[in-house]
Amino acid sequence: MAKWGMVIDLDTCTGCQACTTACAMENNRLPSENWQDVLFYHEGTYPNVKLMWFPRPCMHCENPSCVSVCPTKATYKDPDGGFVLMDYNKCIGCKYCQVACPYGVRFYVDEKAVVQPDIRGVFPSEAGRQWDPPYKGPQDDPSRGIGIQPHGVVSKCTFCYHKVSKAPKGVADLDEDIPELKEYVPACVRVCAPKARFFGDLDQPNSNVNKMIADKRGVRLKDETGNKPQVYYLSGGATASVPSLRSMSDSDKG
Amino acid sequence: MTSVTVSNKEITSKQLGIMLLALIGLGIAGGIAISNLMAEGHAAYNSSNLGLFWGFPIVIYDYFLLTSTGLAMIASMALIFGGEDFRPIVRRALWLALAGLIGGVAVLMMELGHPLRALWAIPFSFAFSSPLYWKVMAVSFYVISLLILQARMMKADWRMQDLRINAMITLALALGVTAIAGVVYGSQSFRPFWASGDIPVAFIFESLLGGLAFIIFFTYLAYAFNAAAVPDSVKRLFNDRLSGLLALAIFIHLLFVLARMSSGLYGNAEGLQVWQTLATSPLFFAEIFIGLLLPLVLLMYPGTRIRPWAQILASLLVMNALLISRYEYIIGGQLVPLFKGSWAPELLSYAPSPTEWLLLLVAIFLSNAVNAFGEVTLGLGREG
Repeated sequence: MAKWGMVIDLDTCTGCQACTTACAMENNRLPSENWQDVLFYHEGTYPNVKLMWFPRPCMHCENPSCVSVCPTKATYKDPDGGFVLMDYNKCIGCKYCQVACPYGVRFYVDEKAVVQPDIRGVFPSEAGRQWDPPYKGPQDDPSRGIGIQPHGVVSKCTFCYHKVSKAPKGVADLDEDIPELKEYVPACVRVCAPKARFFGDLDQPNSNVNKMIADKRGVRLKDETGNKPQVYYLSGGATASVPSLRSMSDSDKG
Repeated sequence: MTSVTVSNKEITSKQLGIMLLALIGLGIAGGIAISNLMAEGHAAYNSSNLGLFWGFPIVIYDYFLLTSTGLAMIASMALIFGGEDFRPIVRRALWLALAGLIGGVAVLMMELGHPLRALWAIPFSFAFSSPLYWKVMAVSFYVISLLILQARMMKADWRMQDLRINAMITLALALGVTAIAGVVYGSQSFRPFWASGDIPVAFIFESLLGGLAFIIFFTYLAYAFNAAAVPDSVKRLFNDRLSGLLALAIFIHLLFVLARMSSGLYGNAEGLQVWQTLATSPLFFAEIFIGLLLPLVLLMYPGTRIRPWAQILASLLVMNALLISRYEYIIGGQLVPLFKGSWAPELLSYAPSPTEWLLLLVAIFLSNAVNAFGEVTLGLGREG
C-alpha cells in the first residue's frame, strides 16, 4: 500500500499561484474555494517588512481530526494511498470537519460568494450541483469528492485522487519529468514552474520525497496538533517559510 | 394572604391565547426565514469559510438543547429522590424539556446542508469516534425516555416511587447529552478557547441553571403571570426551594465563567486572546452584572426572593444571560481562525444576519406553541 505524500520546497516556491489555478481548473472549483491556496502575509513593521507567502494544500494527515469528528463517516481515510477524501453522498453539511481541521482547508461554499459576480449565477446548474461550468473534468466520483460539488456538502483537496490512484503499482515518485508517469501527477505538482513540489510514496524509503525530507529536514505544519500531515515543507530561510505560531507582538501586526 | 381568584377555565383560555400568539409569531418569523432560505440558501447566514463555520443557529440549538436537559434533570431528580414538594412542576418541566428541544432541533435542521440525510446517515454510520454521533444517539434515546416518562404520568394517581427507574434512565440520558455536548467543543484540543476537561461539567451546571430559570418563568407564564392564580404548593416550592437552588446555580455558573475568563486572560495559547476582547465587551458586562449578579442579589435578599415579580425577573435575566454565554462560547472559539490566524492576527468579525435572528424567534415561538399546547391539552399543572 502506498502512502502518498507531498514535499513543498519553500526556498524554490515563487508564490506564482500556478498551483492554485491548475487545481481550480483540474477540479472545477469555484472562485475562492481554493483547495490549493498560496497565502500571502507580511512580517515585521515598516521599513523592515517582508512579504511572505505560503502554499497550502490539504495535508492529508495520517491521523486526521476531520475524520475522527465526522458523524456520518462522510470524510474518511482511504486505506489504499492514505488520501483523506469526502463522500458527498454521506455528508450532511454539519461542518464539524471544518471546525476540527487545524489547517483551514475545507470549504462549504453555499454561503455568500466571496468573489463577485457569483459564477454560480453565470453558469447555473439544474442538477442540484453548485454550478455548471463550460469545461468539466471527465472524472466524476461523488463518493470520493471528485467532480462538480452538490449543494450542502463540504469539499476538500483530493490530492488529485483521480490521477494518482491510476499510477502503476509500486512507483516510488510521481514526477512530471518522467514521460510515462506525468499523467498521474497531481495538477499542482505538475504545473509548478520553479519545481518546488514533489509527490511520492512516503512508505518507500528510497523515494525521492523521503530523501528530501531526510536531507533537508522537512517539517510538518502545526505538528503539535497530532494530525501528522503527509505534506512536508522544506524551509531553508530564503523567502517563504513555515509561518510561526500566532504569538506576534502588536508591532508585528502591521 | 392571597387566594386563587382565577378559574381553570380562564387559565385555559389564556393558554390558548399564548398558543395562538406563538403560532402567529411562528408563522411570521418562520415564513420570512424559510422564504429567505429558499431565495438565498445558506447565503442568508453570516457564517463563512474564513473560519467562522458555526454561527448563531448552532448557538440557538445548543441553548435550547441544554435548557431541555436541565429541565429533565430537575424533573428526574425530583422523582428519584422523592421530592414530593416538586410534584407540582415535574410534568411541566418534562413537557417543557420536550418543547424546548423541538424548537432547538428545528433551527438545527434549517442550518444543516442535508437535514433529511442526517436522519439516517448519522444513526447508521456507527461513527463511534465522533462526539456528534454520540450526541445524536443520546438525544434520540433522551427524547424516547422523556415521552415514556410523560406518558406514565398521564394517570391521575401516578406515584413518584413507581417512576424511579424511568427517571434514573432519563437523568442518565440528560446528563449524557449535556456532557457529550460539552465534549463536542471541549475535545477540540487545538482550540484552547473551547478545549477544557471541565466543559462537560460546566455544561451540566449551565443546563441546571437554565432548567431552573425556565421552570420558574414558564410556570408563572402558565398562570398568565397572575401570581394570585398560582397554587400555594407551587408558591411554597418556589419560595422555599427553587429560588435558593436558582441562586446556587447562578453562583456556580458565575464561578465557571469567571474561572475560564481569568485563565483565558492569563494564558498565552493561540486562541485565548479572544478573552481580551470578550471580557471588555458590553455584552459580557451585561451577562455578568445584569444577567447573573442582579438575579443573584434578588434571590438572596430575603425581602425580594419570595416576590413573584423578582422570581420572574430573575428567571428572565438568567435565560438571557445563558444565551449570551452560549453565544460567547461558541462564536468566541472561532474568532481566531486555526490556521489563517498564524499570519492574520485580527479576530474575525461576526454578527448574526437578520435570518439568523429570525431563527431565534422561530425557536422561541415554536417551543412556546408546543409548551402551550401541552398546558392546554395535558393539564400540566395537575398535581394528582
